Amino acid sequence: MQTLGNFKLPNFFNYPPYFTLQPVRDTREKQVQLWKELILDYCRTQKIFVIALDEEFPLFSNPVIESIAGSLNHEARQAFLSALVSEGRAEWMHKGHRKCLILWHRIQDWADSIVQFVKDNGLEDTVMTVEEIRSGVESRGTELHGIDRTILMRALKLLENKGKLVIFKGSSADDEGIKFSL
Amino acid sequence: MNRRPGIGGLQAAAAARDQYRLLGASVAKRRTDLMKEQLVTFRSQLEDFARKHRNDIRKNPTFRAQFHEMCAKVGVDPLASNKGFWAELLGIGDFYYELGVQIVEICLAARPHNGGLINLQELCNLLGQKRKTAREAVSEDDCLQAISKLKVLGSGFEVISVGKKKLVRSVPTELNKDHNEILEVAQGQGYVTVEEVQRRLSWSAGRATDALETLLEASSCQSIEGLAMIDEGHRDGKCHYWFPCISSISSYVGS
Repeated sequence: MQTLGNFKLPNFFNYPPYFTLQPVRDTREKQVQLWKELILDYCRTQKIFVIALDEEFPLFSNPVIESIAGSLNHEARQAFLSALVSEGRAEWMHKGHRKCLILWHRIQDWADSIVQFVKDNGLEDTVMTVEEIRSGVESRGTELHGIDRTILMRALKLLENKGKLVIFKGSSADDEGIKFSL
Repeated sequence: MNRRPGIGGLQAAAAARDQYRLLGASVAKRRTDLMKEQLVTFRSQLEDFARKHRNDIRKNPTFRAQFHEMCAKVGVDPLASNKGFWAELLGIGDFYYELGVQIVEICLAARPHNGGLINLQELCNLLGQKRKTAREAVSEDDCLQAISKLKVLGSGFEVISVGKKKLVRSVPTELNKDHNEILEVAQGQGYVTVEEVQRRLSWSAGRATDALETLLEASSCQSIEGLAMIDEGHRDGKCHYWFPCISSISSYVGS
C-alpha cells in the first residue's frame, strides 16, 4: 500500500480515473464520497486546516500515475471541496473559493474540546490569550495545540454566544484575551 | 415353437407362456436386486470415501473440486439438499450456503464501484479476506459452485466468460457482443481508448465510441451504475476508459 509520510493511502488513489471528475452521476457520487473521506482523514491525521485550491497539495496528485502529472484539475478539486462544504465539513474562506477551511471537527466539536480542555486544566474563571490556547504549555498534547486560528476564533465565538466566556482585546494588538466563566 | 393342433397344444402353449413370464419376472427381479445391491454398495463406498477424506474435502479446494466432479459423473449432487447424509457427513451444504451469502455481500458492496461486474479471481481474493478466520481455503471452483446455488434465487447471479477471464455478474443486465469484445481488449492494461478499440477490433470510430459511451453510462440497462470510468488526464491526450470489473485495483471495496 502506498503511503504519504505516515499516512496510508486508499487503493483508489492508484486508479487513474479517480483523478478525473466522472461524467456519469452515479459513478461521480461514489467518487466524490471516497475523496471526501480521504481529504478529511488526511487533514485530521496531518493536522491540516486549510487547503488552497491553486497550490500544491500532496493528495491532489499521485506521481505513480502516468497521467498529466497524475493530478486533479481545478474543477475536480473544487467539486470535492464543495461537497465537503455542503456537508458542513469545510468552508470557503473567501468568495473566490480559492482557500478552503477543513473542519474535520465541526465548530461545535471544537467548542466542546475547548470546554473539556478548560475543565481538565482547572482553568475555569481564569484568563488566557488565544495564542496560549494554540501554543501554550497547557494545550500541548491535546488536539487544540496548533489549531488554526480562524477555527479557534469561530469556536470561541460560539462559546461566547452561549455565555461561557468573554473575548476581549488584550494588551498586544494581535492577540485577544479569553475570560472563561464555565 | 411349432403349433400343434388340438386343445392339448393350446394348453401346452399357455403353460409355456406362463413359464416364460415367470422366468422373465425372476430375471428382472434378480437384475433389479443386483442393481439395488450395487447402488447400496456404491453409496456406502461413496460414504466411506467421503468419511475417510472428510477433512481433505473440507480443507483442500482441489480435492473438493475433484470430489464434485466425481459426484457429478455418477449423478449425485451433494448440495441438492441441506438435509440428508451429505450435509450431515460433510457439512458441505452449509459451507456453500455460507459462501453464497458472502459472495452476495461482496458483490453488493462492490457494485457502486464496478457496476455489478466483478472478476472471479478478485471475488475469490475478497472472499479469502472476508473469511480470514475460517482458515479453510476457497477456490474459484468453490465460488462457481456457490454461485450456481444462488441461481435458484433468480437474482441474476451469473458467471460470464470474457476472453480468458471469468466475470461474475450480479445485476440483471445483458452485455452485448460489442461490450464483451471491448472488455476483452481492456484485459491487457485495464483500460482502452477509442483508437485502440478501432484498431484491435477493426471497428469504425462511431461504433467504438457508441459502445464505450454505453458502458460508461450503462444506460441501456436500468438501475446499474456504469461499468467504465474515464481518465482524461493522460499524457497521450486521449480519453482512457477504465473498467474496475477487470482490474484488481478495486480490492479496496469493503475494507
